[in-house]
Amino acid sequence: MDLPAGTRNYSYSEDTTIFRTKTQKVLLTMLVLVLLTAPLWFGNYWLSVANLIGITIISVTGLNLLTGYCGQLSIGHAGFMAVGAYTSAFLTQRFGIPFPFALISSGLLAGAVGMIFGIPSLRVKGFYLAISTIAAQFIIIWIIQHWTPVTGGFSGLDVEPASILGFVFKTQTSKFYLILVIAAAAIYAAKNIARSRVGRAFVAIRDNDLAAEVMGINLFRYKLAAFFIGCFYAGIAGSLIAHTGATISDAHFPFMDSVLFIGMIIIGGAGTTIGPIFGVLFIRLLDVTVTKLSPALQSAFPHLPPGFTSGIAPLLFGLAIILFLIFEPRGMAHRWQLFKSSYRLWPFSY
Amino acid sequence: MGELLQYVITGLAIGMVYSLIALCFVVVWKSSGVANLALGQLVFVSSWFAYEMLYQRGLPEWLGLIMVILFALILGWLIERIVLRPLIAQPILSLITVTLGLGYFLQGLAGIIWSQSLVPFQLFPEQPLHIGSAIIKPQELWAALISLLLFGLLSLYFRYNKMGIAMRATADDQKAVQACGIPVTRIFSRSWMFSCVLAAVAGVLISSIAGSVGNSLIPTGLQAFSVVILGGLDSFLGAIIAGPIIGLAEIVGSGYLTSLTWPGIREVVPFIIIILVMFVKPYGLFGEERIERI
Repeated sequence: MDLPAGTRNYSYSEDTTIFRTKTQKVLLTMLVLVLLTAPLWFGNYWLSVANLIGITIISVTGLNLLTGYCGQLSIGHAGFMAVGAYTSAFLTQRFGIPFPFALISSGLLAGAVGMIFGIPSLRVKGFYLAISTIAAQFIIIWIIQHWTPVTGGFSGLDVEPASILGFVFKTQTSKFYLILVIAAAAIYAAKNIARSRVGRAFVAIRDNDLAAEVMGINLFRYKLAAFFIGCFYAGIAGSLIAHTGATISDAHFPFMDSVLFIGMIIIGGAGTTIGPIFGVLFIRLLDVTVTKLSPALQSAFPHLPPGFTSGIAPLLFGLAIILFLIFEPRGMAHRWQLFKSSYRLWPFSY
Repeated sequence: MGELLQYVITGLAIGMVYSLIALCFVVVWKSSGVANLALGQLVFVSSWFAYEMLYQRGLPEWLGLIMVILFALILGWLIERIVLRPLIAQPILSLITVTLGLGYFLQGLAGIIWSQSLVPFQLFPEQPLHIGSAIIKPQELWAALISLLLFGLLSLYFRYNKMGIAMRATADDQKAVQACGIPVTRIFSRSWMFSCVLAAVAGVLISSIAGSVGNSLIPTGLQAFSVVILGGLDSFLGAIIAGPIIGLAEIVGSGYLTSLTWPGIREVVPFIIIILVMFVKPYGLFGEERIERI
């Protein structure tokens, strides 16, 4: 049900086109226009929210390739992001390496670290892998907290804003465009990885890794490739976090974020390209709403317990994850698909 | 030498409590195949509840502890009935994620109700015992004794009680058990209630060893996974033996390694052990190596 009724593909290039119909192209143009002009009507606050959303989308898209497509659960993605962030900060501060190279190398190093912790995935899966990635998160954060000469310890590092060929991304607006371009490229790459030979191998491994191996898919190669790609994305996102905020410290990459990333995939819809976008938007906007609303609620209803403001956000996140898993395990992407097909068939229901 | 003895005693006591937390994982895993990653939060919530009962409400200790056990039973029943019952026979990814969501939820709930970050918590009289040059805190002794008692009770239960035998049968083959007319859902529910009680006892013990209730209980729950991994996921014996090993490694290791590496290594030793076990013997000491077929 990917195409509206009556639309046929007559050539291979038509078959591989992502945006196929006129409506899709019009909607895409409108979306691009809206995004490009967003800084005009977003205030600084909303721009910073949008930047955070963009960075999270990059990271979660990587996690989606790893967990949603390849089925290898990683609950240490914030740790891998931290690797990328510190690599990038260290390289630019200490050696004066230009931002684009630091960005790529932070992706590469995060990918390499991810591959190391992904090696157990060859023998174990499911719960074991979840635990080993949790261990990865805690070990990485511990190293960051204590390897003071490189990471600055608990006090963290100061990071210069990103700059490409002399142009410094100092304002929220310029950061927004930087993140927008990289996020768009990341999503496009993810979409294409997912429908290539590699992506099909990932899906085969997710659905049944023994069967995939029997069919001739090299598990060693593809599982590690999934870890590398997923953590590469995390490293890029981490580098962007470092260069769009003025400082980084271990507190930017808490364990609960890793859990939240998994939640975003589930809420958005694992194993779809659009899922991570929905999931990130849902959780981040929920976060913003809660942060805005809860002090007001607290003052309006004085008998609320004093921990209400700090506790309500995790409570709602947990509730959202549980409710989605029970009532819509395929996530918002599935709902979106249902909506699209019913829109196309309207006014006839089938 | 006295130093080592001290480390060994503390390590064994902490390890026993780790074993309890690990058992609370194994009970659920064996009967229903759900990997409960919310262990830390279960420990956390029940410790806070114990604090509420003993300090805020000022109940006498025996009554307060009974309330904690009751709370754990109800919590376990609710979790199984509301969260996990609808997800029976879902893929393992969903089952793991739902416990992560549950953990998040419980943490938020505890944060709303008990907004302090750290409160003192003491259960046992403060008269240290002396063995040679080592000092044993009574709460460590109590922790070890209570844990041993619970291990004994649990193994007797699983060996002789009808429900316990049914639970072992469920762990072996769910479909066969269902065909025999044993209500599998009731067994799941029972195992979650057990698991929560174990978590609550472990929470109370570990809080009294630490002397406080606070956010550090959640990482403690995660560290206990090293016991689960080392002992083998589906082995009670493994959990009981691996607990003291991990406790010893953590305390002795951190005692001697801190000067060589960085401070705070105590918190990561269990995680390093997890990674090592994953590389060397991923199914643990006593875990059953599953051979899969298509």
